[in-house]
Amino acid sequence: MSPVFARDAEGGLELTLRTEERDLLRALPDELRALYEAGPDESDPVRGRLFPRAYLDPTAEDAEREWRDLVHPELIRGRVDALDRLLVSLDAAPDATRGTVVVPLDEDAVGALLSVLNDARLALGTRLGVTEDTDYDDLDPSDPRAPGLAAYAWLTFVEGELIETLLGDLPG
Amino acid sequence: MTSMPTETVPTETAPTETVGEPELDEATTTDRPWLVIVWNDPVNLMSYVVFVLQKLFGYSREKATRLMLQVHREGKAVVSDGNREKAEADVARLHGYGLWATMEHPS
Repeated sequence: MSPVFARDAEGGLELTLRTEERDLLRALPDELRALYEAGPDESDPVRGRLFPRAYLDPTAEDAEREWRDLVHPELIRGRVDALDRLLVSLDAAPDATRGTVVVPLDEDAVGALLSVLNDARLALGTRLGVTEDTDYDDLDPSDPRAPGLAAYAWLTFVEGELIETLLGDLPG
Repeated sequence: MTSMPTETVPTETAPTETVGEPELDEATTTDRPWLVIVWNDPVNLMSYVVFVLQKLFGYSREKATRLMLQVHREGKAVVSDGNREKAEADVARLHGYGLWATMEHPS
């Protein structure tokens, strides 16, 4: 099943996927970049989910503001860096052979891919209102959410495969 | 949290348990640490939460899995604690990985 992750000789990963899957991944950074540049906003569900409050206590506004001013620039910069890093890897990959692309990912690019996949799922999942009970195997084609849910399910599959690979590197 | 679409999602309903916060006597109130809490959400994969807890805090697979399951079944879990600066830094790192985390000081 496509896509697949395999270890390469340098300790990185090789991601093998169809060109149309590569194109889907290639489109994610632009969408996320717009959300990151719009910045944190608790009144927007998607940006509120990407940048949640730190202080549970709603009266701790001063502490919350200080924390936000301190950490958000760095949180946003790290995420934008991940977008750029993933684009470099995707665009540097050799041309497709029979509709299949192999993307070499070094350690930084692996982290970037994980960041992009997870944020894309957070944004899309929040926008679509997914729940733990959402059934992706039986999508109703007349449901306007069906294309988004299918994309979400694919991203979930890719991220799950990547995490299984990465968990193998951590103490069991 | 969610599991992989191809996996069987656990369907048992979790017993209603109070999330255990250590009971301390009043004399130690001021020494109480800030608690860093991860909340359940419908997007993050169960395996991802285990990965992040191991990666960020150096927890064993067993401890990270236990905390993940507590989040999944009870809605939240205390994943770290410490002084205010440490709690703020831990929350920021968890947010950097897309986990829904908050901090609070038990009164």
